[in-house]
Amino acid sequence: MLARIVTIAAILVVLVAVPPLLDIGWQNAMTNMLIASLFAVAFNLLIGQAGLLSFGHAAFFGVGAFATLHLMVVIEDGGLAFPTPLLPLAGAAGGFVIGAFAGYFATMRSGVYFALVTLAIAELFHSLAPHWDGLFGGEAGLSSMRMPWGGLVYGSSLEVYYLALGWTVLSVFLLWAYTRTPFGRLTLALRDNEQRVRFMGYNAHSTKVIIFAVSAMFSGVAGALLAISNETANYTLFSTHVSAQVVLHTFVGGSTVFFGPVIGASVFTLFAFFVSDVTRSWLLYQGLIFVLVMLYAPHGIGGLVDAHRRHWSQLRWSELAPAYGLAALSGLALSGATIFLVEAFEILFSPEYDAARRRADGAWPPFELFGLDWQAFGIVTWAVPVLLAAAGLLLLPRARRALRQAWDGVLERTEADRTGSVSPELAGAAER
Amino acid sequence: MEFLIVSTLNGVIYGLLLFMVSSGLTLIFGMMGVLNFAHASFYMVGAYIAYTITALVDFWVGLLVAPILVGLLGVLVERYLLRRVHEHGHAHELLLTFGLAFIFEELVKLFYGDFPVNYAMPDYLRFPAFTVFGTDYPFYRIFIGLVAVAMFVALYLLLSRTRAGLVVRAAERLPSMAEALGHNVPLVFMGVFGTGAAFAGLGGAVAGAFFPTNPNMALELGVIVFVVVVVGGLGSLEGSLIASLMIGLFSSFAVGLDWSLAGLFSLVGLGEWARSLGGVFTLTLSSISGTIPFLLMLIVLLVRPAGLMGERN
Repeated sequence: MLARIVTIAAILVVLVAVPPLLDIGWQNAMTNMLIASLFAVAFNLLIGQAGLLSFGHAAFFGVGAFATLHLMVVIEDGGLAFPTPLLPLAGAAGGFVIGAFAGYFATMRSGVYFALVTLAIAELFHSLAPHWDGLFGGEAGLSSMRMPWGGLVYGSSLEVYYLALGWTVLSVFLLWAYTRTPFGRLTLALRDNEQRVRFMGYNAHSTKVIIFAVSAMFSGVAGALLAISNETANYTLFSTHVSAQVVLHTFVGGSTVFFGPVIGASVFTLFAFFVSDVTRSWLLYQGLIFVLVMLYAPHGIGGLVDAHRRHWSQLRWSELAPAYGLAALSGLALSGATIFLVEAFEILFSPEYDAARRRADGAWPPFELFGLDWQAFGIVTWAVPVLLAAAGLLLLPRARRALRQAWDGVLERTEADRTGSVSPELAGAAER
Repeated sequence: MEFLIVSTLNGVIYGLLLFMVSSGLTLIFGMMGVLNFAHASFYMVGAYIAYTITALVDFWVGLLVAPILVGLLGVLVERYLLRRVHEHGHAHELLLTFGLAFIFEELVKLFYGDFPVNYAMPDYLRFPAFTVFGTDYPFYRIFIGLVAVAMFVALYLLLSRTRAGLVVRAAERLPSMAEALGHNVPLVFMGVFGTGAAFAGLGGAVAGAFFPTNPNMALELGVIVFVVVVVGGLGSLEGSLIASLMIGLFSSFAVGLDWSLAGLFSLVGLGEWARSLGGVFTLTLSSISGTIPFLLMLIVLLVRPAGLMGERN
């Protein structure tokens, strides 16, 4: 527990102290990271705590953003003296109301039906918003300005960052505290055995509606922070891609661990910040990472971290380190091959390359990748990914075997420890 | 009258197209309990494969080869990916197919670019089937409908009249019993998954030549197809046929009607008041035609949560 508090405190200190030293691009990336993290944690309240998989959380994220912008427009027109730092309350209210309404329908069904209904609800907003000028500003969307309040101008991205930080930390803390309340425990019970919860006299449907609304409310806060940061919003906020991103973030980070979604959201947002300038195929890599995590690490990055934490005293790094090294080598070779192929195909199938070919009268001009020139049909060009892939595939079974052996040892020792500590009590019980 | 007939025809044919894709989805769900998010991607991949083959060889070859290739792709997905995560439960399978849908879309963008490709029917199919009230009705629309009907008949005969169909239905009802009787149930699952994918691929190959073929087509159709299976009741073929036609008709009629709530109010003399309020009251039906399926779904959920033909879960 102490170790956890220290870790969280250290992260908070970094989050507060570092951004003033960074440039504006970085500050914006950090703000987006906070927003994505809050959104993912709010989303994970449903899947991680209540076992409800929503594919339409963009609806509440978007509603939060639009509600905030409406309030900002009113403030800007001088109609209302509302404190700027409290703007996300509008997003929270909007998310809660729409979430309660949508949740009433969605939680009528469970399992895959629930997923489909939430998807359709988001799509309802997505198809309606561009045609509804008054509420969603049509296709162009709504825009406004942050107004100064309480001596702060809210003009710089640093001020916006601190506003987002405050709200994110507060919201994540509230969501964590929520899981500790009796009602939060009831949420877990709903996930594990709904029949039983009903049998104990709880109204399962209304409980689920409340959880849904709370999740939507905090998603609305995240949307509000985006609206404050961007000062604009349009109907694309409701698109399936927004809903998809939060699912990706949450599950790559790990939905079974409370802070897992934060890991996923931070890693992906920062990666996007770095990589999206370099390659257009960033989303493809993201999808590949997601599928690989689903196949080989079903509990996500957070799950892996958590496994190490739980078995910390039984870990033997002399066994684990070589296994991890082997796995890393194999992974590097395979991802190298994949990246090479994807980037090469991206160039070869691009309209620009087509134009270059036409200029060269149908010949296949060499293309530039990673600072080198490659022939389109050169043996060297395709030998690179093939050799990398071969090396990776050769190492892969060995790495898997070594990993399994090392972890079998860890689990065995854990088991031995557990039974070892239990047996004296059992012996005592037997004597009595 | 003209509007009525043309809209009905368009609606029925769009509905049949929806059914081509949703039948495989609902069949797979009924058997394996897997909601395949990547199902509409098979539709898109079918269209792109047919486009490629049409450019290289011939339209009809593309129409034939695309479903076969997409079916094989489906078999690979089931055998090497879905089966691997089966032990982690249905939510995991759903997430895996969701990730695959994402990857398929990005791969299509990688090879074909993030814009529509020029996949069109051959010129000799570009003629009017008949003329209604002075408007030519394109033959190709009728062709799409005919392919869908042929597919439905073939599917029905396969399931109800053949031995393979009998095994499939047995494996759907009681998988463990069918397995105990010596049938290779995993193979049956793989076959059904592949067939469902092939049907979606055929739908893509046929419809892609008429409707736009672009990287968004999977998503656009996919969402509607999900609405269809929720309205029809997951796992029910009849339900998905009825829901497909219903949503096809609703959408095609809505496009042509500029009704609004204000118009409804004016029937009782409150039209001016409603118009002055603006907002939701002046939205015309035609402008929100894309929203109709989702509203329909919410209504069905309220009245009959299990869907039209579904069993309660």
